[in-house]
Amino acid sequence: MISDKLKNAILKELKLDDFKIEDETKANQIPGWDSLNHINVITAIEKDYGLRFKAIEVLKCKNIGDLQKLVDSKQNK
Amino acid sequence: MLHYIDLTKVWTLLEFDKYNPLGFSSSLFLFLFFGLLLLVTVINNNRAKVYILIAFSLYFFYKSSGTALYVLVISAVLNYGIGYLLYGAGRESLKKVYLWGGILANLGALGYYKYTNFFLETMSSFRGGTFEAIDIIMPLGISFFTFKALSYLFDIYYETYTPSKNFGDFFLYMVYFGNIAAGPIDRAPAFIEQIRENRITNEDISRGVFLIMSGLIKKNIIADYIGLNYVDRIFDDPLRYTGVENLIGVYGYALQIYCDFSGYTDMALGISLLLGFKLMENFNYPYKAKSVAEFWRRWHMSLSSWLLEYLFTPMQMGMRRMKMMGNALALLITFTICGLWHGPSWNFVIWGGLHGFFMVFGLITSKPRAALLAKLKLTDTKIAGFLKTIITFHFVAFAWIFFRAKDFKIIEDMYGQIVNFFKPGVFPQFIQSYQMITAMMVIGYLFHFLPEKVSESGYKLVEKSPLLVKSAMLAFMIWFAWQFMAADLQPFIYFQF
Repeated sequence: MISDKLKNAILKELKLDDFKIEDETKANQIPGWDSLNHINVITAIEKDYGLRFKAIEVLKCKNIGDLQKLVDSKQNK
Repeated sequence: MLHYIDLTKVWTLLEFDKYNPLGFSSSLFLFLFFGLLLLVTVINNNRAKVYILIAFSLYFFYKSSGTALYVLVISAVLNYGIGYLLYGAGRESLKKVYLWGGILANLGALGYYKYTNFFLETMSSFRGGTFEAIDIIMPLGISFFTFKALSYLFDIYYETYTPSKNFGDFFLYMVYFGNIAAGPIDRAPAFIEQIRENRITNEDISRGVFLIMSGLIKKNIIADYIGLNYVDRIFDDPLRYTGVENLIGVYGYALQIYCDFSGYTDMALGISLLLGFKLMENFNYPYKAKSVAEFWRRWHMSLSSWLLEYLFTPMQMGMRRMKMMGNALALLITFTICGLWHGPSWNFVIWGGLHGFFMVFGLITSKPRAALLAKLKLTDTKIAGFLKTIITFHFVAFAWIFFRAKDFKIIEDMYGQIVNFFKPGVFPQFIQSYQMITAMMVIGYLFHFLPEKVSESGYKLVEKSPLLVKSAMLAFMIWFAWQFMAADLQPFIYFQF
């Protein structure tokens, strides 16, 4: 399940009103999330949650579900 | 009957000859390929098919690279071993050691076989001495199989792929003749899964036949014809021609390289479909792109997605504190490397660097450009789309000059003629004296820019036909392409990479 907080962070950065984001959704399926915008979305999420990812952790994510798990694991530390 | 055949001649024909690689449209390849197709169909056993394909692939490689075959075999064995260690390594630090070991081994081999002379020549020109090239046989498609191997290691490192336990499957992935010479740069997960599935549908056969025919038209009819009869002449001596002829030469080369490379890829895809493999898509009407970034999402897609996944994104993530500067720097580095990947020459480096520069320029100006279009009430209009396509095409086409010209003098002369000696009045004369070239270029570009459903309706025609008619169509197209071929078969432009 993608949390509202993560979803809103993504939508706000990409200036989207709404978009259905599920565990299996891939970044490039979300309008505006392209290769150049990628770092802006990642830094926006880091800022919203007040945490910092390692590059390898983000590179391992196959979809938004993996990103959610990453955020959760970082928060629980 | 047999005693009429001169066996020594047959042997010479089959032997290693670096000037006669097994191009997909050569008669020898087609003859051997249909034999292969017959063999795997008759035997009808998946494991046997894997080994037959390996044997055929090794022969295909030997035919153009001779004993350099050992480089490919060692690379396959070594990468399988490193992949195995990488997957089994528990600690992150150990995984990093294996990964870097793998990267260094692969790039070391690529560097030695492809770039040694370039490096020595550059060094000697700095020192002002004389340069004598070392005789190194470059193994066929080393840039392609090195990138295939690296993607395999990266996928294991990122834990997005569990490596196959079967060495034969991995070995076939590495040596497969269908994509070894000039791509697509397929990825292990998708390819190896298909070995296991071993499924060929009627649609695959229709699509395969259609793609081989389309490849023959693009490569053997359009690309070779305009290359040999027009583009080569312009690029050999631009000063002998007016600016308008030089400009048509630039447009001609843009069409030639597209038809050559995508025609080759169509044949690779088609041949592979007949054997039960769906290779990666490599081209999607690239000149329809509305930006240089979009061009790279449509041109040589298996390479651009490789660079995006394994080079650009990791670099961009590492430099994300620099925000837009990080993006810009990652783009410039990625595309300069992309240029160098294409060949050991400064022309390629500059060509790649130019593409990086275009994209950085696009990135920096994206907001003001969007604001300007909004002010002119042109946002998302057809006219804006059309203009973007035209402008993008010209950026790409003019950068191709660096890719094609043999030295900087030629580049300077071409730009000089176009700017200072344009002579538009020559255009009607050009059409009159080069009717065939004009026709080929119009047809080539028309097919490129027409809606995709036009090409799809051609496919439907093949699909609806019974197998016998399909075979007849293919045989006719092979015959037709051979009629068209110039005295010498033009090598695929991408073979040299």
